[in-house]
Amino acid sequence: MRSFLILLKNELKLNIRNMNMVIFAVIMPLIVLVILGLLNGSKPAAYGAEYTFMEQSIGALCAISICAGGLMGLPLAVSEYRERKILKRFKVTPVSPVKLLAVEFTIYIIYCIVSLITLILTAMIFWKVTIYGSMLVFLGSWLLTMISTLSIGMMVGGVAKNSKSASVIACLLYFPMLIFSGTTLPFEMMPEPMQKIIITFPMTQGIQLMKATFLGLPLDNIWLPIIVMGAVTVLCTGIAVKYFKWE
Amino acid sequence: MEEAIKVEQLSKSYGNLLAVDNVSLSVKRGTVYGLLGANGAGKSTTIECILGTKRADKGLVSVLGYNPIKERRKLFQKVGVQFQECDYQPEIKVSELCEEVSCLYKNPADWRELCTQFGIGDKIKYAVKSLSGGERQRLFIVLALIPNPELVFLDELTTGLDAKARRSVWKILSILKEKGLTIFLTSHFMDEVEVLCDEICILKNGKIAFNGTVEQAKAATGCEKFEDAYLMLSGEEVEE
Repeated sequence: MRSFLILLKNELKLNIRNMNMVIFAVIMPLIVLVILGLLNGSKPAAYGAEYTFMEQSIGALCAISICAGGLMGLPLAVSEYRERKILKRFKVTPVSPVKLLAVEFTIYIIYCIVSLITLILTAMIFWKVTIYGSMLVFLGSWLLTMISTLSIGMMVGGVAKNSKSASVIACLLYFPMLIFSGTTLPFEMMPEPMQKIIITFPMTQGIQLMKATFLGLPLDNIWLPIIVMGAVTVLCTGIAVKYFKWE
Repeated sequence: MEEAIKVEQLSKSYGNLLAVDNVSLSVKRGTVYGLLGANGAGKSTTIECILGTKRADKGLVSVLGYNPIKERRKLFQKVGVQFQECDYQPEIKVSELCEEVSCLYKNPADWRELCTQFGIGDKIKYAVKSLSGGERQRLFIVLALIPNPELVFLDELTTGLDAKARRSVWKILSILKEKGLTIFLTSHFMDEVEVLCDEICILKNGKIAFNGTVEQAKAATGCEKFEDAYLMLSGEEVEE
């Protein structure tokens, strides 16, 4: 445990020094929030809707940092460490691969938490956003989305041949999910035929779940996203640990 | 005397290239063992197979009585390693790197003291990438000694060091040896090998060309200087 915390402290410092994740996982979601806020203010989400457009968007905005950390930051960090032979150096120490992966995993959880807090506080202070559902249930859906997305990233980073292939896979996952699953562009603004395709993305499932729990909407099919995301987490984490490569 | 490293009939090839060919060697505890040979003779591959970072095609390896692949975590509590090509996280500072390594062991040495011993005590707050080649080399020896190891692997330990720094590294290693540390090293400097090594093994095209003491090497070749003996045995002799 002590070594986990020391590794976490130092690796987090290095990660912040690098600035990429600070920009993509913390500052960028905040900028999108501010733009949406300036455009929409406290307008209702639709004519006659009980909640505002901003309230409807919170879930999606929280997913931007999850996407950036899980599908870009984490896989690239792990594969870069392998390519630079930093993992090889760790291989001749008593550290276990699980501990190393857990340290990297936790770093991105921290980014997601910081992003969640800054987004919700900013939205509450400037655009009077309130949560209609239960905070606990919303946090539960956020946690599930985050863990499942990070586990996808961990698998990609853990098994990719080199940082080039990790970066290709990361881009293939990151950009479609970022653009189409409703993180930056609201899902509701997409044309209907497109919505039908996008709904199959795991990230879309998470965003829809976060949105519903934030707004306190009735969940008629709550088990589907939970089962999908839970299965993704178990499968990807298992593969990442089992097929972990030091070199 | 007990053996720290035992290698039997180790072979490893890359495609058609037989990098290590039926190598057997044994290192006694508390001694300094030098693995020598030209570039490409198979030194690094041998070390990597002993450490388990590469899987041998054939042969048995036992380090401190452990199987380096199956009992990796137990073994590396007691073994320090300095690789020839070390890399580190970009932007990392000396203190952070030492702390990260130190936290992995049950009874680590005081890394600040080690840094001072190796003359980089004033560089602790610096980024590793801002160090000079020699300072970085000394840092990686420090990292290998942080575990308070029983056995240490040093791959080309003094490459890039100036004469004074090499002498001080030799001195520290001699003191550690007196305390019972076993050292397995590779080097291209024969003066260093002569000073430090109790036993040497010269590889030539992946095969053992000579195994014994420095004196035996000189006697076997009839050379007065060890460097001449080495060149003759390793097949690197300069044609005149």
